[in-house]
Amino acid sequence: MFRILARSARTGIVTDPQPLAPRLHRGFPVIDFRRCTACGDCARACPTGAIQLRTDPARPGVSPATTLSLAYGQCISCRECIPACREGAVSVSSSFDLVAYTREQLVHRASFDVDASGRATFRQEESLPGPSLSESAATLAARIRGRFGRSLHVRQVDAGSCNGCELEIAATANPVFDLERFGIQFVASPRHADLLLVTGPVTRNMEIALRRTLEATPEPRAVVAVGACGCSGGIFGEGSYASLGGVDRVVPVDVYVPGCPPSPQAILAGLFVAMGIREARARPESPAPEAGTNQALSSAS
Amino acid sequence: MSATIQAVSQALGIPPGSVHEPRPGELRADVEPGTLRAAADRLVADLGARLASLFATDERVWNAVYALHQIWLLPRHWTFLRVSTRVDPAHRRFPSIAAKHPSANWFEREVMDMFGLVPEGHPNPAPVSLHDDWPDGEWALRKDFPDARQVPRVPGSSHPFRPVTGEGVFHVPVGPVHAGIIEPGHFRFGVAGEPVLYLQLRLFYAHKGTEKRFERLPWRHGIFLAESISGDTAVGHALAFAHAIERLSGCEPPPRARYLRVVLLELERIYNHLADIGAIATDVAFSVPAAHAQLLRERLVSLQERLFGSRLLRGTVAIGGVKLDLPNAGREELLAHIQRLQSDFESLVTLLIDSGSFTDRIDGTGTLPIEAARDLGITGLAARASGLDEDLRRDQPHDAYDALSFEVPVEEGGDVRARLMVRAREVEQSIGILRQALGALPDSPLRTAPPSELPAFSAALGWAEAWRGPCLHWVETDAYGALTRVKITDPSFRNWPGLAHAVPGNIIPDFPVINKSFNLSYSGNDR
Repeated sequence: MFRILARSARTGIVTDPQPLAPRLHRGFPVIDFRRCTACGDCARACPTGAIQLRTDPARPGVSPATTLSLAYGQCISCRECIPACREGAVSVSSSFDLVAYTREQLVHRASFDVDASGRATFRQEESLPGPSLSESAATLAARIRGRFGRSLHVRQVDAGSCNGCELEIAATANPVFDLERFGIQFVASPRHADLLLVTGPVTRNMEIALRRTLEATPEPRAVVAVGACGCSGGIFGEGSYASLGGVDRVVPVDVYVPGCPPSPQAILAGLFVAMGIREARARPESPAPEAGTNQALSSAS
Repeated sequence: MSATIQAVSQALGIPPGSVHEPRPGELRADVEPGTLRAAADRLVADLGARLASLFATDERVWNAVYALHQIWLLPRHWTFLRVSTRVDPAHRRFPSIAAKHPSANWFEREVMDMFGLVPEGHPNPAPVSLHDDWPDGEWALRKDFPDARQVPRVPGSSHPFRPVTGEGVFHVPVGPVHAGIIEPGHFRFGVAGEPVLYLQLRLFYAHKGTEKRFERLPWRHGIFLAESISGDTAVGHALAFAHAIERLSGCEPPPRARYLRVVLLELERIYNHLADIGAIATDVAFSVPAAHAQLLRERLVSLQERLFGSRLLRGTVAIGGVKLDLPNAGREELLAHIQRLQSDFESLVTLLIDSGSFTDRIDGTGTLPIEAARDLGITGLAARASGLDEDLRRDQPHDAYDALSFEVPVEEGGDVRARLMVRAREVEQSIGILRQALGALPDSPLRTAPPSELPAFSAALGWAEAWRGPCLHWVETDAYGALTRVKITDPSFRNWPGLAHAVPGNIIPDFPVINKSFNLSYSGNDR
C-alpha cells in the first residue's frame, strides 16, 4: 500500500495541460498548387485514391480544364505522394487535427489551364459545393442546442476497423490526454450516450449492429466518424462484397476526423468540434519544414 | 539431396524428386487428394509438424482445378512445407484433416465459406466466417466473383448455438458492440450461475474482404493494406508482406534495413505488451499500475512518433527495406529512453506480482493446458505461456534476428499469470534486442529497389514473429505478375479457439481478464 502511494507521489502529474498544442507530428500532405503541373504522378502513387487528377475536354464555350484534388478524408498519410512529385510541390504539413462536417469540406482542389502543348498552369483553387464550415457549425449547434457543452457521454462503435483507431481512441483516456477532465466520458451503452464515435470501414456484418446502436441512442445525438476508413473507406475502398465504406454510407455523420489513425489530439479536437467548443479546420496549414522530424522520411523512398 | 527432403518425401509417400525447395525455408510438394490425411498424420507424428495455415486457390482458369494448400512448420528441420493437392471442380470436395488435427478446424471451414469446397469428414462443417444472412451459392474468393458484387441479404437459418438445459442454466449473449473500446465480436456463454459451462464465439463482424482487396490493389500498394490488417500489428504484417514479395522477386534488403526492421518490430512488441499488462491490471481493478503502464506506453508511442513519424509505426516498412533512417541523435534518444523504460518497467512488474490481491485473480485463471494448446494449433505468446517453445525469430530467423542473441521466454502455467509473465519477460528480452540492434546498426542504403514487375505464376511465403505470434503472408502471381491470391494468417485466427477452451470452468467476471490476457485481434482474424 505504502509503495503504491509512494509511487504515485513520485510520478506526480503527467497530464499534458495543453493536449491540443501543436507538436511535431506526421501531419497531412499539402500540395502547393502554384508549383503543380498537374502531371498526375502523385495521383498514381496514392494507394487510396485520395489524390485524383481529372481532365475535362473542351466543350463549346469552355476551355479544357484539368483539376487535381486531394481528399483528406481518404488520406492515410503514407507520404508516397511526396517523393512522387518531380516539382517538389507536395510536402508534409504539421497539421494533424483536421476536422470537418462534410466529406466535401475535406477536399482540397485546384483547376489548371492546359495550353496547346499540353502544359498545365494553375488557374485557381476551388471549393466543392455544399455548406461552409461556419454554416455547418451553426446547423449542428442549432440541432444539439448547446447541450453537449459541458458534458459529453460517448459510446464508441467499431464498425469494422483494423483496431488502429481504437488504440488511439483509448489513448485519449490515458493519463497524458485524460479526456475526462473536459467532461467527456466513455459509456458502456448507447442508451447512456450523447454521441457515437464510429470507426470503419462499415462492414456488411456490422451494418445492422451500427444502425441499431444509433437507434438506441437518445436524441439529440451526434455521430463522429473517425479515421480514413470511417470517413471514406480508406485503403479498403467503398462498396466491396464485405465492406460498405465510410460511416456516412450507413448512418448520418455530423463530424469527420480523418487520419490513419488520427492521433488522440485529433480525436479530442473532433469531440470538441461536436460539442461546439472548438472551430473546425479542414485545411492543413502551410508546410512546416521541420514537421517530418526526419528529413529522410521524404527522401528514402 | 538433403536429409530434410528425404524425411518429407517419406512422410508424404512421394519420391524425393517431387519435393521442391524454391528458396531457403520453403519446401513445396504436390500430393494426391487421397493421401492428404495419411500425409498429415505422418508429418505430425514423424516430423513434429505444426499446421501454420490452410487455404484454397481458384486455378480453374489456367489449371481447370481448385487447389488446396496446407502450410506446415517443420520445427526440427527449420523450414516451412507447403503441401498442395488439386480439388476437382466437378465435385468440389477435399479430405478434411480436422477430425484428427483440430488445428485445421476453422481453416477448412473458411475454405468452405469462401470457395464452396466441402471438407469431407469434417466433424462440424458449419460456416465460420459467413453470417446467417449470406445466401447459399455465393463464394467470395472464387475468381468469377467480382469484388464489388453486392450480395443481397437473405433470411437464412440462425447460427446453431449449443443449447443449454437444466435448472438455473442459461445463455449470456455479449456483443457484437461491446461495453469497452474494443473490436466487434459476439460471445455466447452457457452459464450455471457465475461459472461458465462453455463459450461459443461468433466472429467475422470485421470481415472487410481484405484478401480479395489485395487482388485488386497494385502489389506496391499492398504494403499499406497489410498495415491495416490489424492496427496493433502494422509492422508485423507489413514485414510479412514485404518478406513475401522480396522472396518472390529475389530482392534482398540491405543490412541497415534488416536491423532497423528488428528495431521497429521490437518497439511494436514492447508498446503492445505494455498496453496489455496495463489492461490486465485494469480488468482486475488495480488502477495504479494500470495508469503507470498506460503512461509508459504513451511515452514510448510519442517517442515513436518523433523518431519515425508515426505513433503506431505505420509507413515505416518498405518493400525492399525501410522507408526512413534512424539518425545517430535518434538512436541515442531511443537508447536513453529504453534505459529509463527498463527500470520503470521492472518496478511496475514488481508492484503487480507482489500484490496478493492481484495474483489471487490471475493465478490459475483461464488455464490452457499444453495438450490443448498443441492440438488446437495455438501459437505465439499464448503457446509459449502454455509451455510450447516456439518463436520464428529464433526458429526461422527473418531480418537480422540470426545475428542477435536473445532468449525465448516460456512459461508452463497456461493461465493469465503465465501470459502476463511471458509478456513481462519478452519486454526485457526486447530491450536487450534493441540495445544489440541499435549498437550494431550497419552503414548501408535503406532500401533495395524491388524489380518493376513480379515474376509470373510464382508463389512465396513471408513471415514475421510479431508480438502476438507469427504473421504469415502467402502470395501468388498470375500470368502478368499481378497478385492473384494473398492468404493472410494472423496468429489470432489460430488462437481464438484457445480462448474458447480456456474460459469454461471460470466465472463470468474473470472473462474480461482472460480475454485480455490473450488479447486476440478481431480484425486480423476476420480480415
